Amino acid sequence: MTTSRRGFLQIAAAGVAGAGMLRSPFAHAPAWPPTAAPLRILVLGGTGFIGPHMVRYALQRGHTVTIFNRGRSNTHLFPEVERLIGDRENDLETLRGRAWDVVIDNSASVPWWVRDSAQLLKDSVDRYLFTSTRSTYSDFSQVGMNEDGPQHDPDPSGVDERRSQGYGPNKVLCEREARRAFGDRSLIVRPGLIVGPGDNTDRFSYWPIRVDRGGEMLCPGDPENPVMFIDVRDLAEWYIHMLENGTVGTYNALGPEAPLSFAEMIYGCRAVTSAEVSFTWVDTDFLLEREMRPYSDFPCWMPARGARAGFQRFDLTRPLAAGLKYRPLAVTARDTLNWHKTRPAERQARLRSGITAEKEAELLAEWHAQDR
Amino acid sequence: MSSSRREFFASLTSPPAGAQPHLERPDVPGAETPLRILILGGTRFLGVAEVNYALARGHRVTLFNRGRTNPQLFPDVEKLIGDRDNNLTALEGREWDVVIDNSSSIPRWVRQSAGLLKHSASQYIFVSSLSVIADNSVIGADESIAVAQLEDPTVEQITGETYGGMKALCEQFTMEEFGDGGTVVRPGLIVGPMDVSDRFTYWPVRIDRGGEVLAPGAPTDPVQIVDVRDLGAWLVRVAEDQYTGVYNATGPAAPMSMAEMLYGIRAATDANVSFTWVNADFLEEHGVRPWGDMPTWIPPRDGMEGFSTVNCAKAIAHGLTFRPLAETASDTILWWKTLPEERRNTTRAGLPADREVEVLAAWHSR
Repeated sequence: MTTSRRGFLQIAAAGVAGAGMLRSPFAHAPAWPPTAAPLRILVLGGTGFIGPHMVRYALQRGHTVTIFNRGRSNTHLFPEVERLIGDRENDLETLRGRAWDVVIDNSASVPWWVRDSAQLLKDSVDRYLFTSTRSTYSDFSQVGMNEDGPQHDPDPSGVDERRSQGYGPNKVLCEREARRAFGDRSLIVRPGLIVGPGDNTDRFSYWPIRVDRGGEMLCPGDPENPVMFIDVRDLAEWYIHMLENGTVGTYNALGPEAPLSFAEMIYGCRAVTSAEVSFTWVDTDFLLEREMRPYSDFPCWMPARGARAGFQRFDLTRPLAAGLKYRPLAVTARDTLNWHKTRPAERQARLRSGITAEKEAELLAEWHAQDR
Repeated sequence: MSSSRREFFASLTSPPAGAQPHLERPDVPGAETPLRILILGGTRFLGVAEVNYALARGHRVTLFNRGRTNPQLFPDVEKLIGDRDNNLTALEGREWDVVIDNSSSIPRWVRQSAGLLKHSASQYIFVSSLSVIADNSVIGADESIAVAQLEDPTVEQITGETYGGMKALCEQFTMEEFGDGGTVVRPGLIVGPMDVSDRFTYWPVRIDRGGEVLAPGAPTDPVQIVDVRDLGAWLVRVAEDQYTGVYNATGPAAPMSMAEMLYGIRAATDANVSFTWVNADFLEEHGVRPWGDMPTWIPPRDGMEGFSTVNCAKAIAHGLTFRPLAETASDTILWWKTLPEERRNTTRAGLPADREVEVLAAWHSR
């Protein structure tokens, strides 16, 4: 290798990881075939958590991207990309008289937003990709549920009356509005927990961050309890890949392909750090009796029982057949941790999910004091 | 885009065929004071890691060996040819700051080389082994634990019986010849790219293959390993800092369970894999041997309770660090994939695939 090439590699590696962080030994991303024909893609939203990953990947694949939003969040992103300013609530003027091959709607949980944009675009855009959610399902008691599972059944008049019926029901109405306008040209994706760099909810991030802090760590419930989520980059790459392939229909978006236990997830997070950490598994009922809330106090964690037995055991046959691929967990955990370390110190100190260090210590002390 | 740039971007998604990232010099700053380092051995596994790190730190390295193993490595490094057994002539009349002896299990070899070099080097680092420990039932053994004694100190035949005692005698000769300049480092299982034993390698390769993996014993059974590059780098820093005395050297810093290791390896792959834990009694009844068939695993019982619980606090306090497990696993898989197919088909440790299927079937139908 020439000196200049080695120098370039070092710079590239440093740019990715930064000092003191786990370097990048893994293949970064699943390999996809080359782009056949460039698409004109309109992204509604595009500057939140998942949008930038999609825009970045679409550009990398040689597509032309237009972003439509209010021009308020992350305005520094993608200076080279065309931006249309407007408002999903009441100002779609800039979308009129334009044509795109596909639209990605990431930013709607409001049914009349989808109605208005889908109706406006149905003759000027070939396909409509709507980012829905696992929360549209009304019953998680079944294990191995696919896209045909029971959904909420909201009152359709809520759309015209501009009346919210809650997140899941609203999203069901959004799906219906997308299908009403685009019919079999619509692509509905229902992700579960989306994780990775840029996630400001800290829901998955709590775990690699907590492991990296070291010490005795409280692990909730049964080590065998299942867990499902999806790396935002896997979701973004899959979106673009489906749009390139002309895929339509409805798909859940979760992973990984082979069932993952909570222990596998947490020990996988340990594998990306050198932290001195030990794990204490604390019984589900002990935590529930102390009003610890699954998912928020212990992110990703939902005891697989009763009405939630199937919450993290979806059938993935359809998304896999439609090409969904997964990064190794270590890549997700490492990149999330590296990204977290670039956040301002006060943000790093205050996570939006998970219990505080004090609460964790208190619970562990109580757990150890029990006569078991 | 130029072709070299295209190559580089391609390498971000998949390593080029024959890539050997572990052979590249680590990205570390130069040492303040370059040392003259003589490495006995130096062209396999641990030696390669030492040389890469020493060169990255700007030290002047001399290798002494027979010139048979990996002679293509390190073309710019001075190489002295000889034989630990009977020809040390090339070492005469030279001076170094420090000697690292990787290649001795025979006490006489240490006596000869350390005896010859004690006036021409100020420090002698002998790479010993945790196999010197006489009693593996002790939990958390530190460096003060009693070492194995040979019944016949002249024995030169390496067997499971004699290995620990021979290494212990090597340690003793190091200290006798070098006194205050003697350093003894006792690694446990050294793992990572270029390991010819396949002992740790079995696990990342097996998990990367996917399917149902037989996982041995209890998920909480302890395991200890050290990445060859962490150990190699630390040995060079031991030389830089002139640390002497005896050090246990395995890892990681906080105890690790078999489940933590295996699930951590899974995290480094995108394989579709599941784990079936089969208890130690069942494995014993079905002739599945700890360590040989189930690498890195020794059930903590029958006098082996402490085998994977060795205390390495002293080495850690003297600068031994551990890279993340995912990096070790990932690099081991990348390296494995560069090996010729016939080598990959003849693994030297671990349960053969058909035996694994048999044992799992028996377990499920018990």
